[in-house]
Amino acid sequence: MKISIKKDQLVAYVIVALGGVIMLAPFYFMFVFSSHSNSGILSIPPPILFGDFLVENFNTLIDFLPYFWHNISLSLFVAVVVTILNLLFCSLAGYAFAMFDFKGKNFLFVGIMATMLLPPFLGMIPTAMIMSQIGWMNDPKALIIPAACGAMGIFMMRQFIASAIPKELVEAARMDGCKEFKIYYRIIVPLITPAFGTLGLITFIGTWNNFMGPLVVMNDMKMFTVPLALRALQGTGQVPWGAVAVGAAIAVLPLIFLFMMASRRLIDGLTAGAVKG
Amino acid sequence: MASVQFSNLAKSYGDTPIVKEINLDIDHGEFIVLLGPSGCGKSTTLRMLAGLESISGGDIYIGEELVNDLHPIERNIAMVFQSYALYPHMTVEQNIGFSLENLKVEKAERIKLVTNVAEMLELTPLLDRKPKDLSGGQRQRVAMGRAMVRSPEVFLFDEPLSNLDAKLRGQMRKEIKAMHKKVQTTVIYVTHDQVEAMTLADRIVILNEGKIEQIGTPKQIFDQPKNTFVAKFIGAPAMNIFNLSNPKIQHDFGVSMGEHNPVLLGIRPQYLYLNENEVKGVEKAAFVDVEVISSELLGASRHIKCKYQDQTLVVETASHDATVKGIVRLYFNNTQIHLFDENNNTITH
Repeated sequence: MKISIKKDQLVAYVIVALGGVIMLAPFYFMFVFSSHSNSGILSIPPPILFGDFLVENFNTLIDFLPYFWHNISLSLFVAVVVTILNLLFCSLAGYAFAMFDFKGKNFLFVGIMATMLLPPFLGMIPTAMIMSQIGWMNDPKALIIPAACGAMGIFMMRQFIASAIPKELVEAARMDGCKEFKIYYRIIVPLITPAFGTLGLITFIGTWNNFMGPLVVMNDMKMFTVPLALRALQGTGQVPWGAVAVGAAIAVLPLIFLFMMASRRLIDGLTAGAVKG
Repeated sequence: MASVQFSNLAKSYGDTPIVKEINLDIDHGEFIVLLGPSGCGKSTTLRMLAGLESISGGDIYIGEELVNDLHPIERNIAMVFQSYALYPHMTVEQNIGFSLENLKVEKAERIKLVTNVAEMLELTPLLDRKPKDLSGGQRQRVAMGRAMVRSPEVFLFDEPLSNLDAKLRGQMRKEIKAMHKKVQTTVIYVTHDQVEAMTLADRIVILNEGKIEQIGTPKQIFDQPKNTFVAKFIGAPAMNIFNLSNPKIQHDFGVSMGEHNPVLLGIRPQYLYLNENEVKGVEKAAFVDVEVISSELLGASRHIKCKYQDQTLVVETASHDATVKGIVRLYFNNTQIHLFDENNNTITH
């Protein structure tokens, strides 16, 4: 009996390990390719160890993308602002949906949830037209305002608040003379930090990696976000794959750092409320 | 300290009435217990007074002031919740002082008030701890401290002891009573536990299906129940109730079917005795013969279940009567019998 359990475990470990390798391989090769020349990268079999072409590739990247550091800064700015706004608005909306009773609450909530059914590509052309009409093309506002609050974030916050914060706590605060907004920032916010961590990470990663959004509203190379800038490298005749890999490696570093710092919180937040603690 | 008045107070959710035209006057400094089964509307009534629930009809006065539309803080009342509702991220000191912070009381004054309350409730060594580091009883005391610190006019307690074990409940009952004696504030206390109601209340309000069944002192409620609901609800084990359509029962209990035309008869298990000399207040005790079915030992007392005229009857007696079996004679004082009319109301005799 014991042996069969061990065999089961072994199979599980092998499957998990294989999955890990499959998922990590692109990252590994991205770093390896960033240190090889184009001919090295395109050779068969491709290189699997680090080479000595890193500086040249980096110089090529800067030659092709003179605003690369500006693109990185813009990406960072947009991702940080969108994350902060999402945390604020989604938690406020989630708090309202979880704790207040008001007319049309269910209808409104279903309406917001229904927006998740629409494919994001559906909004691309209308967004581009609206931004063009209000003069926000090539303006970070065009990336920040439409993404300031999302159905997924509202849903997540509502579920977390409803499961983690008893209504009596809010009522006790009301009895203690707390006004509604103070209840939000003195009672609710300190108790939903795990959900803030999770939503913050998801939003930051999503915004940082967003390609389609900037594609329709940013056409000035200086105002490109990182994914857009790296994509621009591929429209330059012979694609400098080493430079692309260097750019991608630099772009992915903040995310790897963020994930390593907060992965525990991300997992905790996603599973919070799933089981009674 | 203030009086409280409910005038035709009503609450309904959609078409479902929860509280039906409650009229109640509570005096300054009185300890009132709202007692009733689950779903009778007692917590809803309390929450309407607190301002946590809107009212569907009627008026609520605290002192002379109509408070129907006032925010909870404007009513100057404090509430202790069933789950204590302590802020988990705040220390005991911050929990107790939070209402003062909201009322913009100066920090020095705030610290003084919190310290006083903490001393009164023996919480001083715990002021820096968070609620998760406290026992159930300590949390309960913090919840009380939070309510006491701003000297409210009315204290509301919503089943505050239901999460505690039996021993701690007894201790906390004493502490609540002592607190009331000390601060002399009007207290309205909701519970479904009749022991809490009997031991704490100046007056008990018995609620059933959103209506008041009876208001009275614990003794009045126990000895003079207004109807069969109160008679059965108060007292453990519940009062024995018999249908008087059986002439044998009428005869055994000496009931004459006069102008009041009683339909039901009740007698408490505590007022039935196995020995004639235990019956007080009469020269000659009345009696009935019953058949013992079973008996349960409850430490200091024993409940004996008997069969009488195809109905079940329970007797509470001292625990040394363990060997009671077969047919036994139960003695009682006829004046301790309750008679009820066809509307289940007590017939005064």
